[in-house]
Amino acid sequence: MLEILKKLTSLDGVSGMEKAVSDAVIAEIDGFCEWETDNLGNIIAFKKGKNRSAKKLMVDAHLDEVGLIITDILESGFLKFKVVGGINTESLLSRRVRINGNLFGVVSSKPIHLLKKDAASKLPDANGLYIDIGLSKKSEAEGIVSVGDRAVLLGDYYETEDKILSKALDDRIGCAILIELLKNDSEYDFYATFTVQEELGLRGARTAAFKVDPQSAIMLEGTTAADIADVAEESKVCVLGKGAAVSFMDRATVYDREYYNAALNSGIACQAKRAVTGGNNSGAVHLNREGVRSLAISVPCRYIHTAASVADKNDIKAAYELAVYMIDAICSGKL
Amino acid sequence: MENIKTLLFELSKRVTVGNICEAADYAETELSKFCECSRQGNSIIGRFKGKGDYTLLLDAHIDEVAMIVTNVDENGFLTVAKCGGLDIRALPSRPVTVHGKEKITAVFCSTPPHLSTSEREFKEISEIKLDTMLGTRAKEIISVGDYVTYSATPVSLKNNRVSGKSLDDRAGVACLLEIARRLSGKELPFNVTILLSDSEELGLRGAKTAAFKINPDEAVAVDVSFGDGPDISSDECGKLGDGAMIGICPSLDSGIYKKLLKIAKENNIKYQTEVMSESTGTNADVISVTRCGVRTGLISIPLRNMHTETEVVDISDIASVCDILEKYILSGGVADA
Repeated sequence: MLEILKKLTSLDGVSGMEKAVSDAVIAEIDGFCEWETDNLGNIIAFKKGKNRSAKKLMVDAHLDEVGLIITDILESGFLKFKVVGGINTESLLSRRVRINGNLFGVVSSKPIHLLKKDAASKLPDANGLYIDIGLSKKSEAEGIVSVGDRAVLLGDYYETEDKILSKALDDRIGCAILIELLKNDSEYDFYATFTVQEELGLRGARTAAFKVDPQSAIMLEGTTAADIADVAEESKVCVLGKGAAVSFMDRATVYDREYYNAALNSGIACQAKRAVTGGNNSGAVHLNREGVRSLAISVPCRYIHTAASVADKNDIKAAYELAVYMIDAICSGKL
Repeated sequence: MENIKTLLFELSKRVTVGNICEAADYAETELSKFCECSRQGNSIIGRFKGKGDYTLLLDAHIDEVAMIVTNVDENGFLTVAKCGGLDIRALPSRPVTVHGKEKITAVFCSTPPHLSTSEREFKEISEIKLDTMLGTRAKEIISVGDYVTYSATPVSLKNNRVSGKSLDDRAGVACLLEIARRLSGKELPFNVTILLSDSEELGLRGAKTAAFKINPDEAVAVDVSFGDGPDISSDECGKLGDGAMIGICPSLDSGIYKKLLKIAKENNIKYQTEVMSESTGTNADVISVTRCGVRTGLISIPLRNMHTETEVVDISDIASVCDILEKYILSGGVADA
């Protein structure tokens, strides 16, 4: 599972251009399930289990990641851009980027030496940042880069004994877990969706849920962990190494309380997500058609939405085990 | 230009700060192919023997901006201090290398989305903790006083441009190593000493003591200066690709910069001028006031995003500096003027 995660994080899939990630997912799951893609690019898979399920269950992870979109090419050869999804300006300053999966550039800004003192202690307006790919004039861009092209913030994959540092852990972690679920035998039938455009406002999940028409849903996600220096205990949301995080409520969903309690009481390493912040595809899925009972199983990630997120390998394993447990519990009809 | 690019890549990916001398060791190995070398700490001094007693000093600094660990907490988070002028606003969520008992990767904490405010003020680097991801084990590997450095490996951009860490002033070092190659075996009008100096980023310290030791008659410092950008006015910067920036400044020797300009013009070597009103902020400032005073010039290479790990230079600008300096030396500098 971690090998697949490493491979998936190395691919670029800014919202609306998830093809490289989507192709890699299909290459992994083909032969282990039936799958098709829909008009937006979602992958919708059906896993045949040993038993028929009492409920139609959809397990979801999103393919896309936050990134940048090129909006203009200046006469000087610098590229203007806007962010796609939520990225703090501090995470953009002096970063290396990759455009269209193969072209290197850097986010350029005025050096601190040339700033007045009060400007040097505040973040610049993101509109004052530019990408430099080495062009010295606009005409050189022909055939190399165009407006509408996407860029990712580059981040190398690095492991310690128990931690992973990488770009795009949100939500390649969910994708890697979902691939593992499809590759292994399942007790029950379930649907798996790898969805596009989550970071633009849960767009892919809306059409995927319509197509699957589930009664129950499980979101596999990365969620923010603030268990870092100088953050008070009550603001930590969740903690690395303490297992999968399970949500009772976020800004998009009030989760099914029976599912939430069953997960917390599963005996598998997990923790409540202790904040009403963020949101995930459940926001779209749980309002599908006549409504869907939903659960979010998340892997705690420090520095989420940056090119250097950190997650704990044991939490990824726990999230996988909790997903298996909850699939069985829901599909058997116990819940 | 290929040789310069190869040198720059090798120098950029290595570290030199404090007791860490990877780039200095590499530069010494390269320089000693062409001349006798000695060390003064991390500073490297290479001597070419020419006619007479007159000595021209060429300087570029080998050190880089960095950080140093001031505290290791129980949960594996570090507090660091700056070694040189870093933009701390760009640190959150940046992976860096900690030079502890072993080299480890750590990442600066970024504010979690639910706690971030748009009006965040960046005052002190000590407010931005560094996550080693090692938890309680951090104390076994990392101690106060360990250095922390940028970790980006260099990469090619379009138009023969290169982005990476420490191009300030490895671009200058690559330039001097290339000049050493060109001078090698040639009959020189005077002695030429190449100084790759340490501790520039801490206040021009290495060049101060090394210049005292070398006691030159004349010197030219090679450093980087601000490159162009969309929001930088043209009088504050040089343009990448437009060639060597010849320094004009009250504290620089006017005979030297006039001759540098003349050589560039006569030989059609790309150049631009950089006019400064007081001092230069480079090693030229301290070399020129060494002992009884040294006639000193400055040539700079335009560089974008100074003191970040996404610095950018154009290899052709380094080549222009090499071309000008080679001709300057072989034509006798200002020894007779």
